[in-house]
Order: sequence, then C-alpha cells, then structure tokens
Amino acid sequence: MPIDAKVVQQVAVLARLQVESSEEARLVKELTSILSYVEQLQDLDVSGIEPTSQVGEGTKAPLREDEVKPSNVRDEALAQAPDRDGDYFRVPQVV
Amino acid sequence: MTKKPDPLETAESIGRAVRNRERSAVEVARVFVERAERSAPRLSTYLHRDGARTLEMAAEVDRRLESGEKLSPLAGVPIALKDNLCTHGIPTTCGSRILEGYLPPYDAHVVERLRAAGAVFTGKTNCDEFAMGSSTENSAYFPTRNPWDLDRVPGGSSGGSAATVAALEASLALGSDTGGSVRQPAAFCGVFGLKPTYGAVSRYGLVAFASSLDQIGPFARTARDVALLFNEICGRDERDMTSRSDATPIDLESLERGVRGMKIGIPRDLLSVGVDPEITASLDRVTKKLSGEGAEILDVTLPHARYSIATYYLIAPAEASSNLARYDGVRYGFRAKSDDLQTMYASTRGKGFGREVRRRILLGTYALSAGYYDAYYLRAMKVRTLVRRDFDQALLRADAILLPTTPTPPFKLGEKVDDPLAMYLNDIFSIPASLAGAPALSFPSGRTRSNLPIGLQLVGRPFDEGTLLRIARTWEKKSGDPLGVPPIANGGART
Repeated sequence: MPIDAKVVQQVAVLARLQVESSEEARLVKELTSILSYVEQLQDLDVSGIEPTSQVGEGTKAPLREDEVKPSNVRDEALAQAPDRDGDYFRVPQVV
Repeated sequence: MTKKPDPLETAESIGRAVRNRERSAVEVARVFVERAERSAPRLSTYLHRDGARTLEMAAEVDRRLESGEKLSPLAGVPIALKDNLCTHGIPTTCGSRILEGYLPPYDAHVVERLRAAGAVFTGKTNCDEFAMGSSTENSAYFPTRNPWDLDRVPGGSSGGSAATVAALEASLALGSDTGGSVRQPAAFCGVFGLKPTYGAVSRYGLVAFASSLDQIGPFARTARDVALLFNEICGRDERDMTSRSDATPIDLESLERGVRGMKIGIPRDLLSVGVDPEITASLDRVTKKLSGEGAEILDVTLPHARYSIATYYLIAPAEASSNLARYDGVRYGFRAKSDDLQTMYASTRGKGFGREVRRRILLGTYALSAGYYDAYYLRAMKVRTLVRRDFDQALLRADAILLPTTPTPPFKLGEKVDDPLAMYLNDIFSIPASLAGAPALSFPSGRTRSNLPIGLQLVGRPFDEGTLLRIARTWEKKSGDPLGVPPIANGGART
C-alpha cells in the first residue's frame, strides 16, 4: 500500500503522535523514499532463516536472588513530574 | 596564556601522575576546564558543562588519595559523558526538548563505575536527539562543529563526545553506538572510538533507543587509553540482563605484541559500494604497513552487508517506536497543556520530539503494524541473521576485518540534513557490525589533503576487543603520525 496523508495520520494515531497537516506532504515523501529503499530486502530468499531479535540469545537467562533492597528514589522521581498531587502524578481528567 | 596542549598527553599518563601525587587532580582539571571555556562555546560540544562542579569532583579525588584510598588508573582523568547517560542530579536531555530540565534520580552503571574509579566529569556532550543521526545536527539545541573544520559536522550521534576529545577539552569520553554513533564521529574527528561487543557493557541508565543494538563505548586519543576506559566499564551488571561476564579487562601490555602471524581480512565486495579515493588510499597504506609488520592480509566476503542499511532502518525505528512510548508527559520532562488525556499525549510527543525522531517513530510504528510486520520487521530480523553469519564465516578465516569507518570524509553542516536517506547511506560500513553484535573499533589512519581526519575500522570476534586494539596500536606506533591538535585547541582557528 502506498503511503499517503491518510496512512500517515493513521500511523500517527497508533504512535500517539500529533502530526500537523502542514507536515503531511513532507512525511509522505520521506517515508515513501525510505520504504522504497528497504524494498531491496524482498530480493533475498529468507525461507528457513531464523530471525535474530537479539544477539547472545541462546545463552541462559541470568538469575539472581530476589532480595529486598532500598531504592529511596520516590521523592526525587516525583520531583520530576510536570504535574503532581502529593505522592501522585496528576493527568487531565479521564473519567 | 595557557600552555599549549600536548597531543600525546594520555589519560594513562594523567592517571599515573595523579595517583603518584605528582600532579593534583584539581591542577589537571583546571587545564581542561580552561581549555573548554575557550573552545567549547565555538564548537558547541556540551549541552551541560559546569566548570565549578568539575573542579569540585577533582578536589574530592585529591581528598580520597590524601586519605590513602587506592584509586583506579582513571583517577583524576577528565572524562566527558554523552547526554543520553543518566547522571544523578545532573541534567540528562538526550539532546531532546522532551527531556529539557530532566534530572535523573540515579546514575547509569557506567557513571557509577567511573565515579568509584575517581574519574572527573567535564560535562554532558551534545548529540543527535535520542542518538538518532549521523551529524549531531538533530540535536534540539544546536549543532556541534568539527574541531578540524568548523564548517563541517563532527559526525554523530555522539558528535559532542568525539569533538571534545579531539579538541582536548576532555581526556576521554563515553558515547553510545547503535549503528555507528561512536565509530563514525571518532573517524570524523580523528580520534579512537570503540563499539564493544553487544553485552560487554551494561546499558543500565543509558537512555534506550534500539535495545538490541545499543552499546556504550569509549573515545580516546590512543589505543591504550581506549582499553583503560573499556576496562573500567565492562562486565556483568545484574541490572542489564543482556550484559555478560564474558567481557573481561584487556591486559594493556598485550597491545604491544604486534601483529606477526595475525590474519586480517579485507571485505573487497563491500568496498565496491563506493569509497572516497583518499580513504581507499589510506586503507591501502595501513594494509601495507600491517603486512610489513608480519600480518597476513586476505580477502573476505560479506555478501549480505550491503543489505544492512535497509535492515537497520527497519529494526532500529521499530525498537525506537516502542522504547520512546515512555515519553508521554506524565512522569517527567515536557508536557503540552490539554484538558484531554489522549490529546495531551499526542500533543506532548508531537511538540517534544524533533523531526528525525518523529520520522523514525512513524516508520517503526508502520513497520510493526498489523499487515506489515512479516514483510518488514520479521524479514529484517531474518536478514540480520544472514549478516551475522557472514561475519561468523569471515572471522573463521580472519582474526579481524579491516574496512573504512565511513565512505567519505566529514561533510558540511546542512549538506544532508534535508535528505534523510542520504544521511542513512553514510552508515554503510558501520551498521553491519552493529547488526552482528561484533566489537568494532574506529582508529585514526591519517588525514586528507585538506587536513580532514580519516578513520578506519576493525571488526572482530565477540569479546575480542583486545585484538582490535592490538592491531590499531601496532599501526599507531609505526605510523609516526600522532593525532595532532586541531588549531582551535591551540587557541587559534578562524571563528
């Protein structure tokens, strides 16, 4: 499916990313150019090839003891909030 | 008038002098802070720099030594940190508006290690927003300039870290490399830059871009200094489950043993994509020299490496679109005002992220979306397997692979900024090793006729960073061509 302004806006909704209508034409052009470049991957035969999601896979997941450790970052973390109410992050009303 | 910088003053020699109490850490820090005060505003190397804090850290190192504490070889060494490494109580913005003013409540693993070692931080360096870019022009704040030519880019995304070491504003620096973001700026600025094996260094506290590719790596002015910094940050950390205990410190003396009997492979097939003739000439010169030192030079093939850019620009944006979902204006950073939650999310992200980041989030979301996953993301992961196998095969025959770091010398500011694909194509030689998770080192191999740095790259077997540094060290000793000091570091240079 070719990329057009409608597709850009649909993807933008999925990404929770506001895209101004003034940006649509540029994004259509850039994304089309990148996607047509990556089309070259269709030339390769990848049947029977396992995907690599991460190198070093196959090594055993390392485990550690489940111990209680102090972290003490609550106040500092909350101090970064754009809006808060006591020990809570505050957001626009949802319900 | 401050003393002219000595290009051969290494981190190793600074650390030794400080530990032996021949120089105080404060004395060293003052030299670097004063130099940065002169050149950093013109190069725009730093997003956050606080000379007083640097001197305070140095004074603390002197106190620790005074009290008899044994410190590491990096004690008193001034080190710059890329601004995507979390530093407790020091701004960490990743070059993005969405994190403007953010003060992390914790240190990254590597930052913790360096503090314990007695390193002295010079500041947080400029970078492409969330490490997405190859020129540092995607920083939301300002572009960084190349110390060798202020009209040119320092490379990216870790452009500030590379430039600050090249200009001797810091003795060492840390950056992060996802598709070449340490190696390419190292090449453009004429310093060493190492992307360690994936898993060699804990990513805890490195702001995530593409988690299966991201790796923290050192910048330095000598091969030995690269090892010194790598040794301090490598190894297992339980807070990053991909970090591995296979990463062990490198014996510095092993770097002096030369290359006799070593097999070095040249991927001639990949070079056919096009390389600047001066870079090809530099590759030939280094190859001859290494051969003269007893290395065996052989041809290797990486048949799928030419598909690396296409593979990378699906995998990295896909992972980024997921990783960057956390910037929602709720817990930290910038929030756009709105009465409605969904609009607040979209507006915060639309206004807080710059062009390149938005482009990659859209591309990644598209590549992962229903109906496209198999054609794009899944296929890219399979091609990644083919690229990895190429390296496995080639490195059965060769101990290391030698190739250029970049196809061209540093380009001019503004030259590629409006053509994202042209910018991406510049990464053709650095991305393959990233997909393979292999260690890769860029080392300075000379300069062009117009006095711009050239870097070559060595790629090796997993956790064999030592071999790469040993080859680069051999070239370094035999080339008779010290790094040199860009005019700006001497207080000269046009503005």
